[in-house]
Amino acid sequence: MPVDAEKEITKLYRALHSAQDEIGKTFYRWRQVAVEFAGADANPQDVALRAAEVFGKDIGKSILPRMNWLKGEEGFMMILGKALAGLWNTDGGRATAEKGENPGEVFIKCSRDPWPSWAKQFGVPMEEVALCRERMYQAVLEDVSVFMNISLKIELQKAIPRGQGETILRLYKAE
Amino acid sequence: MAKTLFEWDYSEYPGAKSYPHLFKPIELGNLYVPNRIKYAATEENLNGLDGLITDSGVEYMRQRARGVVGGLCFMQGVFMDEAGKGQGYVGQAAAWDDKFIPGLARIADAIHGEKAIAGFQLMDCGRVGAVEVEAGHGPSTVPQRLRIFKPMVEMTSAEIKEMIQQHVDAARRGIEAGFDAMEISGIVGYLISNFISSYTNRRTDEYGGDIRGRMKAVVEIIQAVKAVCGPDIPVGIRLCSEELLDDVRGNTLEESMETYKMAEEAGADYISCTLGWQESIYPVISRDIPMGNWVHLAKRAKEHVKIPIQMAYRMFKPDLPNEKIGANELDFWEICRSMIADPLMPKKVLEGREEEVRHCVACNLCLARLFRDAPMTCYINPVCAHEANPEFADPAAAEEEKEIMIVGAGPAGLECAAIAARRGHEVHVYDKRDVIGGTLNEAKNAPYGDDELWTCIEYQQVMCEKAGVTFHLGTEVTAELIEEKMPDSVVLATGPVYSKIEGSGGDSAKLVNLLDVMTGKAEVGEKVIVWGNRKPGIGCALHLAKQGKKVTLVGKDKTAGFDVNPSFKWRYMIYMRQNGIVIYNDVDIEEINDEGIVVKSFDGYRWPVNCDTIVVSQREPNESLKKVVQSEGIELFVIGDALIPRNLSSAVHDGYRIGMRI
Ligand SMILES: Cc1cc2nc3c(=O)[nH]c(=O)nc-3n(C[C@H](O)[C@H](O)[C@H](O)COP(=O)(O)OP(=O)(O)OC[C@H]3O[C@@H](n4cnc5c(N)ncnc54)[C@H](O)[C@@H]3O)c2cc1C
Ligand SMILES: Cc1cc2nc3c(=O)[nH]c(=O)nc-3n(C[C@H](O)[C@H](O)[C@H](O)COP(=O)(O)O)c2cc1C
Ligand code: SF4
Repeated sequence: MPVDAEKEITKLYRALHSAQDEIGKTFYRWRQVAVEFAGADANPQDVALRAAEVFGKDIGKSILPRMNWLKGEEGFMMILGKALAGLWNTDGGRATAEKGENPGEVFIKCSRDPWPSWAKQFGVPMEEVALCRERMYQAVLEDVSVFMNISLKIELQKAIPRGQGETILRLYKAE
Repeated sequence: MAKTLFEWDYSEYPGAKSYPHLFKPIELGNLYVPNRIKYAATEENLNGLDGLITDSGVEYMRQRARGVVGGLCFMQGVFMDEAGKGQGYVGQAAAWDDKFIPGLARIADAIHGEKAIAGFQLMDCGRVGAVEVEAGHGPSTVPQRLRIFKPMVEMTSAEIKEMIQQHVDAARRGIEAGFDAMEISGIVGYLISNFISSYTNRRTDEYGGDIRGRMKAVVEIIQAVKAVCGPDIPVGIRLCSEELLDDVRGNTLEESMETYKMAEEAGADYISCTLGWQESIYPVISRDIPMGNWVHLAKRAKEHVKIPIQMAYRMFKPDLPNEKIGANELDFWEICRSMIADPLMPKKVLEGREEEVRHCVACNLCLARLFRDAPMTCYINPVCAHEANPEFADPAAAEEEKEIMIVGAGPAGLECAAIAARRGHEVHVYDKRDVIGGTLNEAKNAPYGDDELWTCIEYQQVMCEKAGVTFHLGTEVTAELIEEKMPDSVVLATGPVYSKIEGSGGDSAKLVNLLDVMTGKAEVGEKVIVWGNRKPGIGCALHLAKQGKKVTLVGKDKTAGFDVNPSFKWRYMIYMRQNGIVIYNDVDIEEINDEGIVVKSFDGYRWPVNCDTIVVSQREPNESLKKVVQSEGIELFVIGDALIPRNLSSAVHDGYRIGMRI
């Protein structure tokens, strides 16, 4: 039977997006559980940020094998920036890493992000999404910084809560 | 006057004439060593989980001691802390208490029994340690690059002092057990190298900072161990000459050579030149690295220090170390894996029996097993780790002599033939090919060092000839031939059959035979699909990609190279990427058509892949001749790929086991 390319690609495309959709929703389902367990006194946003930190810490460990200083500091920062943008893309975003004007500076720019919509579906403030992304990346950088013996920082520069426009994070080396 | 432990005179041996530099004496400190051969320390996971020595460990060492013909024979590195932070392997020998001395003494005695010099190695595994506990110890808390290793906790100054004292106490126990030489292991990412490397030592106190600071703990260990060893027991150290850690900002080459000079100043009597780290991205000892690739590092080391330099690392044959020792670019030939594969290798060299050496094929299975908490096994040597079992080590003569027909002169058939004939059977080996070696005739043409697999056949041929095996080459065994000969036993070592493609177009003219491709007999187009993602498929895909062809590897296994051990598999994955090979795992071929094939994934997705040639490397057990042998009531054995398609190792191990039982 000849392959109907359009049919196969459509099947794959749908499967990919429903998998991403489930991943996003699973996070918010678990967030709900964690908030319930944390009790009435806990701030739900703190719970979410803590989860982002745990995720980031684990992701940081998995990217260590790919860290490489052979192309010097500039090259290293770009490899790292691309790895962070890649993580966002896997999560359903559309992100790129761009070299900044200052030495070793890299901007991670995301022009489309499905996470704020998922947050909204679960009644979570959409602002939390960008803060979680920032916290997750900061946690990723913790191990990478120690591993490469360089103090790395990342900070949120611009956040578009609804996921349109551009969310920008600045990755740089602290003096 | 240097202390002589055993007298050896090599003058009458042929090997001493062919390789005179290997069999000339040298002094290590005050110890006279009659030759330049050393069995390098080797973990084998054969000890008890409590770190106590076992019979298997003793017999393993006795064989290696016999092999060094009077040279140095080092036992595996021992861990020295009761907490087990320095323990890297579940079956690593321990020396953190006097209770271990009697067991260690059994090893020293076994080595002395062979008139060899007994070496004791101190090895805290540092970053590679803590196999049984939650966290290891090191100079700094640098996260692990490889997840299989435990997290590190930074040692306090007091803990560093305690660690130095543990080296001293363990050295004293080694001496009391009767060892003659002492070695500190600073190899591949263990504690000593963790202190030395800028990658893992970020301390700002006296044990960190510049290379002098990072060497301080090591210098203190050398001095303290020297003090306990006294003048007659030489103290050596294994030190990294090149870390291959540039990508994570490890030491420079100059810093590494500084460490050599500092070790010499601290009183080391020799240095064993090592290189690479477990965490390095560069391969060092796998088969894809040419033999002798690293020996220039010994020469460089000798330009920096005066004490003797020893070195191993892919020096599997005696000519190169002999030449380098003669040229004063090396002082000692260290051997590890070649003596796992053949414990008597240097002895055979000395006795002029080089053709009887079973050569290591640098597959690194022995290493991979250690990291998976399994006892040592050698890919190519079925006796390894069974030395204490006489049934294995020296199979008894057959009670009743049989006439045995072995069908197939591949590695399985040859191994079986040599052992069965040695035990007194009358053995006839048949092969429809005109040459021996079976599929290895084709496998050896795959790139990245696979020609070394052929050394197995060279060895087996010699052993078969010595045992009096009769060959019938160019003779296909048929039902009629079996009925005519009516042997007492038949061993089917006929190799695999190559799978038929079930989907439509399975009789397409695009299909070619793997073996014909590997020998250049088949015509192969520019776009090729190799069906089967185990090692034969990978070898073929690389062979074709090297000819500039566009290759796609397609196979049923979840990951490509499922049959290759993890310590080597990562190399093939990199080579396939470098050669532009596209891989589709966990898929089937649904259809072959004019353009190519339709691939179907396990979960039902389908896509076309264009090609002009399809090579089938997918294999199945070989059922032919089984029924006829059984129906004649003849004793039957099926071995190697004919039983279940696997690899050279299974072929050799199956052959040996049936050969010793039949
Ligand atoms: C390209 C390639 C790469 C490979 N790479 C590796 C590798 O890196 N590592 C590894 O371990 N293995 C590798 N292998 C696999 C390895 O070659 C086999 O697993 C091994 O040769 C199996 O040995 P065997 O003796 O069981 O069978 P074979 O080597 O297949 O020998 C069987 C013999 O039986 C003969 N025969 C069959 N039927 C009859 C009959 N009726 N009468 C007479 N003779 C008969 C055949 O002619 C053949 O010579 C590779 C194989 C290929 C093709
Ligand atoms: C299975 C195995 C165990 C080893 N165990 C030790 C050890 O206990 N101490 C050590 O210093 N080196 C150890 N090594 C390193 C070897 O001594 C040697 O330096 C290395 O294998 C390179 O030499 P080769 O090419 O001759 O194998 C081990 C190597 C292998 C393969
Ligand atoms: S297991 Fe492989 S690498 Fe290790 S000694 Fe045997 S043949 Fe050599």
